[in-house]
Amino acid sequence: MYAKLVFRNAKRSAKDYLVFMVTMSICVTLFYAFLSISSSSYNPDIGNTYDFTLLSDGLKLAVCMITLLLIFLIRFVNYYMLRRKQKEFAVESIMGMEQKTIGRIFFAETLIMGVISIVIGLFFGVFCSQFITAMLLTSYGKSYELSWTLFPDTVLLTVGFFMLSFFIVGFQNTRVIQKTKIIDMLSADKVNEPELKKSHWIIVVVILFELFTAWALITGSIKVLFFYDSRFAFPVQFMYLGNILIPAVTLFWSVLWRLRKKKWGFQKLLCGLLACSVLNAFIAASVPVLTNRYYLPLGNGMLRQYLLFVLIDLLFFICALIYLASSFIVTWKEKSPEHRYKEENLFFFGQIISKLNTTSKTMTLICVTLVLAIFLFIAAPILNGWASGYLEIHSMYDVQIFSKYNNIYEEKELLQDNYEIVTDFLDKHDIAAAFDCTFRLYLPRKKDFRHRIKYDFPIVAISLSDYNAIREMLGYQQISLEENEFTTQWKTIATKEELNTFLKENSTVLTDAGTLTQASKSYYEEAIGETVYNLYTNVLYIFPDKVCKELLPVMQNRYIITTEKITYDDAHKLEMLFMTKYSEQAENGATYDVRLRTLQINSTIANNFILQAAMLYGAIVLMVICLTVLSLQQLLDAGQYQYRFSILRKLGVEESRIEKLVFKQLGVWFGLPIIAAIAVAAVVIVYFIQTISAEISAYIGLTELILQIGITVGILSILLVCYFLSTWILFRRAVNL
Amino acid sequence: MNTILRLEHIQKYYGNQGNITKALKDISFSVEAGEFLGIMGASGSGKTTLLNCISTIDMVSAGHIFLEGTDITEIKPKSLARFRRENLGFVFQDLNLLDTLTISENIALVLAINKTPAQSVEPRILEMAQKLNIHDILNKYPYQVSGGQKQRCACARAIINNPKLLLADEPTGALDSHSAQMFLSTIQCINEQLGATILMVTHDAFTASYASRILFLKDGEIFTELRKGSENRSAFFQKILNVLTIMGGGQSHVC
Repeated sequence: MYAKLVFRNAKRSAKDYLVFMVTMSICVTLFYAFLSISSSSYNPDIGNTYDFTLLSDGLKLAVCMITLLLIFLIRFVNYYMLRRKQKEFAVESIMGMEQKTIGRIFFAETLIMGVISIVIGLFFGVFCSQFITAMLLTSYGKSYELSWTLFPDTVLLTVGFFMLSFFIVGFQNTRVIQKTKIIDMLSADKVNEPELKKSHWIIVVVILFELFTAWALITGSIKVLFFYDSRFAFPVQFMYLGNILIPAVTLFWSVLWRLRKKKWGFQKLLCGLLACSVLNAFIAASVPVLTNRYYLPLGNGMLRQYLLFVLIDLLFFICALIYLASSFIVTWKEKSPEHRYKEENLFFFGQIISKLNTTSKTMTLICVTLVLAIFLFIAAPILNGWASGYLEIHSMYDVQIFSKYNNIYEEKELLQDNYEIVTDFLDKHDIAAAFDCTFRLYLPRKKDFRHRIKYDFPIVAISLSDYNAIREMLGYQQISLEENEFTTQWKTIATKEELNTFLKENSTVLTDAGTLTQASKSYYEEAIGETVYNLYTNVLYIFPDKVCKELLPVMQNRYIITTEKITYDDAHKLEMLFMTKYSEQAENGATYDVRLRTLQINSTIANNFILQAAMLYGAIVLMVICLTVLSLQQLLDAGQYQYRFSILRKLGVEESRIEKLVFKQLGVWFGLPIIAAIAVAAVVIVYFIQTISAEISAYIGLTELILQIGITVGILSILLVCYFLSTWILFRRAVNL
Repeated sequence: MNTILRLEHIQKYYGNQGNITKALKDISFSVEAGEFLGIMGASGSGKTTLLNCISTIDMVSAGHIFLEGTDITEIKPKSLARFRRENLGFVFQDLNLLDTLTISENIALVLAINKTPAQSVEPRILEMAQKLNIHDILNKYPYQVSGGQKQRCACARAIINNPKLLLADEPTGALDSHSAQMFLSTIQCINEQLGATILMVTHDAFTASYASRILFLKDGEIFTELRKGSENRSAFFQKILNVLTIMGGGQSHVC
């Protein structure tokens, strides 16, 4: 009998379950699609130069971590269903059904819907996993064909995960139903938001923010105490002092408010803190920027600490802004009677203010999550582009051996080695070398050997013939130099500005073999890899061979390009062999390292892919969570709204005007958190792009970047419009329009 | 005296052809300006249907309703909302106040909807609030005030726009006896001092005794009519009870 009831209920209330099912299906689709790659039976054709296991383990972990967020969503959607069905439960219990049974019936209903959602989700998941495969194969540079395979282990994992979460949530629901009183169930949809009273969470937030500001003040003071120097450039001085001044002003404002608490409302404190948080964020954000520009001696830890401050300031900004939003509307309403008393504005303001007051916490959470989602969306392609661009420049040679001398303190300990071990290995494995170049890098002046200051590291030089050999390897044109002339080679990441200043200031170079003057063609920018430059420098001198003979060689590199690609196994073996012989940080302090294109590409692509997939997955999941919660929040209260709109109707407001009001209300409800999130995210992204602008122009390119951001914005807008429209339709139905 | 509302042979049917329920059979009466008319009847006698038809919330099946000469059964559906807000005021049993607005804002909403100039909104509310003795709760929310105060606020909202007709549907239904008494005095005061025309539907004899004339409905028809004339209220109340006994007696006398 009960089974019949369950099925009939499920069938009849399918429409009610629409939101639940759509959300669940999306979750299942995403989960399956991203996890399918880590399936043991997943075996895409990526060739013998790649190894795949690295990727699947990493991805599985990432997907599972992010999916934990989904449990939150499942709970929320279930709560929504529970609220919707309260009245039905009441009638059932009045008829004499035990609440335990009602709970079980509800659980069975949701389970049926859940199972249907899983099936639908899996179906779409198979489609979506094709996109992921396409994404994967493109990043390995392979072409792809669509294939429709269901991976049993992934299916099992998906079903297992969602069933488990249904059971957990279902168990909770059953308990909730058992404990609810019948009278509360009956009047569930009549209960208005009990009292328009604000919750007190913001006070906790303010106290936390004050504590953090105090921390920032202490950090700022310590920094000035230890690092400040009156000879610093003006912006740096401003930064040092600002990092004490602004936190101090923030704290002063709080103290002042506490003294005049009775006169000034809490809102005044919050408004002041809101302004301070913007200034604080600005001044804290300037620390990493100025540190990079002026090579300030602040450690990485300190930079991270300041990024944390920026983050906290931004979070507080969002909290305060959303909390104050209703106060802003109230103030505006009070101050302009012509707006207040214009048509249905009073009603509209009432709706927005009451909702904002009671849900400011949720709104804040949504807003913060949206910022995170937008940032992930935009940062994923940037980081990916950066890494793959970097990879191209990094792995220009099949085998790349290089050394560093920064830990050697005696000239005689500089080792001269031609790395014959590699030659032997290649011979043994029948790998022919198309190009093979072993060369040295020289210090222009011997006395610079002990010069080890990071921001003033000596630039090394290469002889003309070695340089030409490298150019030949890479298919560039040969160059020539007159006697006593030099030219320069630049890293991709170097800026034009840096290059020009350098050439202007260094028209001659002092060497142990005499002074050299700048050649007419004074610089080359073609990428030749990053291991040819000395540490912390972006430029390499090219000297005539004769000059180099008289200089001190400090580093020994060897670049090989093979006729055929080295397989993953061989590359791995070679690396192990090299490592055992030249274990890094040998006794005398010299560092030798080998880079094999095969291994580099493999690990970079895998890491890259995990990073990108995880970021995109995370972003979509967060976005879906936010939008679902936003839309359900409105639909949950549809019962109340129906009553309120019916009053308007009785007062003689036309349907078309009511329709407009509904649209406006939903517009504000979706618009406020989204606009706030976009504004904050824009600031964060601009800052992020600013910090890595050198890398972006070197490895990605501006047009590419704009294109990527454009695509992302497009996807986000489509998602948003879909959610907005479906909420609008359901909402209109709920208020009988 | 001029007639403000005239009903001519109103009929209202529910249901489809096979199963028709006649809610109103054939009702005709008229209301004079400044009159306080009560409509009484048992559950299912058609009181609320009648009120809904007059308030244009429902459509009549046959007959005509004239409000100051305008046939409201002929008004196009699109203009009905406008007609309602310009000519009628409502007081409902369940108050119908918006809990998101303060008392004063609830009243202001009606003025705003009627496009009253912003600067005259507040003075008018204040004036009305003083008449109905709710001026000290104007800035409170509905959940912060008592039921009687809420009903007086609803009343203020209904008459602030000087409607031609004030319709009240069981206005004391949700009030305790003391609040009900207070509220009815208010209504009477509105009728006598402001000259508002009131049409009140109730099944409670005490409430009805405040009216100047009462129509008794039974099974969709007018059973009888009672005028207060110069009698005092308790005598009128007694008369009402007598009529109710006769009305209810029709069947109970059988056994």
